[in-house]
Formats: sequence, structure tokens, C-alpha cells
Amino acid sequence: MKVSLVLENDSTKLSAIELKQFIITGLKNLYGEVGAAFPFDLLKYDVDSQTALLRVYNRGLVKLWSSLTLLGSYQDQPCAFRVLQVSPFLLALSGNSRDLELD
Amino acid sequence: MYTELEKTPRNVLVCEKSNFENEKARLSSHVEQHYFNHKVSVLLPECDALPPHLDKVLNSFSSFYLVKSLPVYELLEKDFLETVVYKGSTYCLSYRTRIDEDNTFALLPSAKLVLSVDKDTYERLGLEGKPSCYSQKPVSRYVVTVDLKDRGMAPGGHGHQRILTALREQLPLQSDFLLAKHDSALQEGGAMQSLLSRYEWSEHRPQVNSNVLMALPCPPLLSSDLRGDHESCDPQSFLEWLGAIDAGISCHNRTSGFLSTFICPEPETLASQALRCSISGLLLPEDIYRLVEELRRFFDQPKRTSWLALTVHGFMDSPVSWGTMEHGFLKGGENFYSLVLFQNHDYWLYMGTGSNDGCPP
Repeated sequence: MKVSLVLENDSTKLSAIELKQFIITGLKNLYGEVGAAFPFDLLKYDVDSQTALLRVYNRGLVKLWSSLTLLGSYQDQPCAFRVLQVSPFLLALSGNSRDLELD
Repeated sequence: MYTELEKTPRNVLVCEKSNFENEKARLSSHVEQHYFNHKVSVLLPECDALPPHLDKVLNSFSSFYLVKSLPVYELLEKDFLETVVYKGSTYCLSYRTRIDEDNTFALLPSAKLVLSVDKDTYERLGLEGKPSCYSQKPVSRYVVTVDLKDRGMAPGGHGHQRILTALREQLPLQSDFLLAKHDSALQEGGAMQSLLSRYEWSEHRPQVNSNVLMALPCPPLLSSDLRGDHESCDPQSFLEWLGAIDAGISCHNRTSGFLSTFICPEPETLASQALRCSISGLLLPEDIYRLVEELRRFFDQPKRTSWLALTVHGFMDSPVSWGTMEHGFLKGGENFYSLVLFQNHDYWLYMGTGSNDGCPP
């Protein structure tokens, strides 16, 4: 999954570890310790754009995606995750024609 | 308790192994039928600079045009049909239209016009089409496919007049289009130039980028072991590794790492350097096949690597993937193929599609 985190205050930047911990917290809040007990990887993270590539097993996709959707605040600051692209193929994430800008 | 939450839409990955010297090899057919290509990436292990013959072919990919607010009926005008479309190798795809939300149009090199439209548009157009294979009940999307080379569609014929009337008067459809024709520059006084002169247009060259990767861990690949039963890594792991290279993801993780456990499939070999280059735009199958032929020549000189890889990404919002097979977008619109070429002329071909796609040929 390619996701980006949008915070109300643009100057707030999360590190990779903080981001992963934030997502884990969201999973546990929604599904509990047992429900959230599946691994996912933060493959790549760009601090400036706060865009991340996540990898998760098929069986964890719906839970991960839904918890990202419902994560609404970070340290009392409103935030939102934008899911930019989802694919079973990591290769597909580097060839998104919707990013083609010609104008 | 969470059984329903663990389901995901299906996807398809077709893996094929053959040899370039095999008469029955179908690579050219697969490449030729994948009409709308957005990006091509090439990975050359143990290489630090683009060989001149590859540089030349990458920089000679066909230009394409962006035409603003082009009415669809213009693609059916007599002059344009007779002097451009019927001659083949003409590719036209609506630009910035999302196949899951908007009306999307494409003109295939086989002179077929494909209109993927919503229910209201379909009913107002009054043309014969079929419900989309991927539309839920009630049907919300229809696909109209018109074979412009059909006898009934000859300019001036009844069928041609009917569709022209529908697109010109009943419901004038228009869009921004990407348009390209292989091996044919803008002809002076030609129908292409005449069409472009009536609308706002711009010419674009495909964008080429390249960079060198140092100390790259590579998975083991043996040309005879496509499935990964013995020495090679399995297809899914290889494609994931290739995706990681393309996306600039590090493979240097520990399997017990907190952030990521992604590692190169083992046993890995270390390439001292590798060249990654890409080209993006509206890329024509003819140019891609020429690139494949030139990549085969890469092994004419002795090389420290026995393989190289090429990946071709299709447009996510194209109404077709291979041939006239309907393509859609559910959670993603991936339709790509990856080609691994070996020194001994063997090749592996992986073709991947998402849930709203048929099985690649």
C-alpha cells in the first residue's frame, strides 16, 4: 500500500519509527491485541511528504486499511491517512499512470 | 471471527518460460497486444553505464501528442479513418479519465474504437454495447466496441453514419486524448495534422531516467528453474524484489527488524553495481519490442551477469489490457508484464493483472 499521512499542522513530521508505532496503536485500538497481532512492514518512508510504502499479508489488508481510515488524530492533532495505491504486486506501485502529468 | 475481514480480491500472475529461438515463442504477440503502455523499467546487473545501442533506442521512442477537448467523433471522420486509422499503428487513449468513475475512450491499432461509459451515457448514446464484465447488479458501466474496419462501418455506410450521428449530435462526447502513431512523423498536410490544427495540442517525448545502484543484493536465477523449485527464487519473491528495486526500497533489513523485514530472496549474490533506467509516457508496443531486441544484444559481449530484467506497466485506466480484453479498476488497475532475459536466449515472462481483469493470454 502506498499511503500518505496528512496532519493539520504541516510542520509536524513523524519519523519512520513513530509512524509505524502510530499505525500499530491504531490497529490495537480497533481490533485489540489479538486482532492486531499480524506483521506489516514499513518498506519505505519519505519524511518530507510523509508518504510510506507498507507491505502486509493478504489476510491483514482489510484490518490495516480500515484502521488507517479510522485513525483521526495524532497527539491530539487531527490527521488523516490517504491511501494512494494498493496492489498485490509491489512492482505495480512504481508504475502508476495516474501520476502522469503533461499539462 | 475475522474470516470475512481476511478476504481480498483475486489477482492473476501468469508465468511463461521460452526461448527466443523457439518458433512457437509468443513474446512478440504478448508485447504487440499490450497496446497502452505507460512506463518501461530496465534493470541491468553488473552494469554502470547505459550501452550506446540501448541509449539510442530509448531516445528514439515515438513521440506522442496530448490533444485537448477532442470530440470522439473526430476519430471517425472519413479522412482520418482512411489515411491514419486504417493504416494501423495508431494509438489513442483518453487522458486523465478514470475507468472506475469516468467515461473512458480508446482507439486501438486494430481500428477498434472502445467506449467504456456509465449507464446514463450509454442510454443517451443509443449505441449497441455490452454490460461491463466487472459491473455489479444493477449494471452501472457499459462497453461499446466498434470495429471500424467492418464493412458496415465504411465511411458513408449506414453503420458509420449511425455512430457518427450518435457521437456528434445525440451526445457529443469529448475528452483530452493521448495520441500516437508509430513510425510516422506529423505529415505535412496530412489528416493527422489537419485534426490537430483544429484543437489545442502539444507534442511530448517519453521521459528517460537512469541511475546506478551500488552493492545490490540479487536473487538467484537459473533459466531452467522458473518455478523456483531448485536454485532459483520463486516468481512472487522475484517480482517483489524487482518491485523493491524499482521503488528504491532497501533490502538491507534484519528479519527481526521493527520497521521492515524485507530482504533479498536467498541465497543472494552481490552485484557490485547495477543500472536502473526507465522511460515513461505513451509508449508504443513497436518501440518496446525494438528495445527487447536491443536488450538481447546486450549479451553479445561477455557480461558478468547472466540475466537482465525489463518491466512494462500498462495504463491503469485503459479500457483494455491485452488485445480487446476488458480492463477495469477495483482497488488497483495494474496490468503489467516483466521479462527476464538470459544469456542463453531463454526468457521468462510474468504477466500480472488485478481483480477487474481477465487472465492474460
